[in-house]
Amino acid sequence: MAERTKIDARGAFCPGPLMELIAALKLIEVGDEVEIWSSDKGSAKDIPEWVAKVGHEMVGVENMEGYDSIVVRKAK
Amino acid sequence: MTSQPLYILLCSGEHEKIQMAAMMASVGAVSDRAVHVFVSMNAMFAFDKDAPPAERYRGGTFSGLLKEKGVPDAINLFEQGKMLGDLKMYVCSMALDVSGWDENRLVDGLFDEAMGLTKFLSDAEGGQFVTL
Repeated sequence: MAERTKIDARGAFCPGPLMELIAALKLIEVGDEVEIWSSDKGSAKDIPEWVAKVGHEMVGVENMEGYDSIVVRKAK
Repeated sequence: MTSQPLYILLCSGEHEKIQMAAMMASVGAVSDRAVHVFVSMNAMFAFDKDAPPAERYRGGTFSGLLKEKGVPDAINLFEQGKMLGDLKMYVCSMALDVSGWDENRLVDGLFDEAMGLTKFLSDAEGGQFVTL
């Protein structure tokens, strides 16, 4: 069962949420996940783009009230 | 496919341009891309390790917004790029000579070495080049 680390990056501006996500991914095991909450309007597109480029896996993006919940699985 | 290295020539002392250089450098470096930043002219003064926070960045209207909203600090972004990705930073040897500064006056641990423009331009052949 994958473990999930949650990060509340609401209120942080670009590229803060992405950098927080990357720092968190460094600390978890392959197969585990990070769920990051971001109110930065670019994150819902920027983070999936970064995930595809570097070879991790997107689990999903959910639009919440005033922020996005973005879940990424560490793949390498 | 390996991405082209990104070479950023940062010579403006404007806060907005330093911030954009820091954003490009940090995001590029954590995206499996080698990034090289060459700092010269007025930009170098923003990297004075003894500069009071309120005086480090000088700019226009958007600089005021960046400070007011608390966006990530440019120097912190450069540090994150180095810590999490492949980012190298160089200070212009001419800028050091003309200003009378030495590398010890710059933010600790941020710069890899002093370099001349000729070497930087030579290294940058074949990469993507951005001037700010």
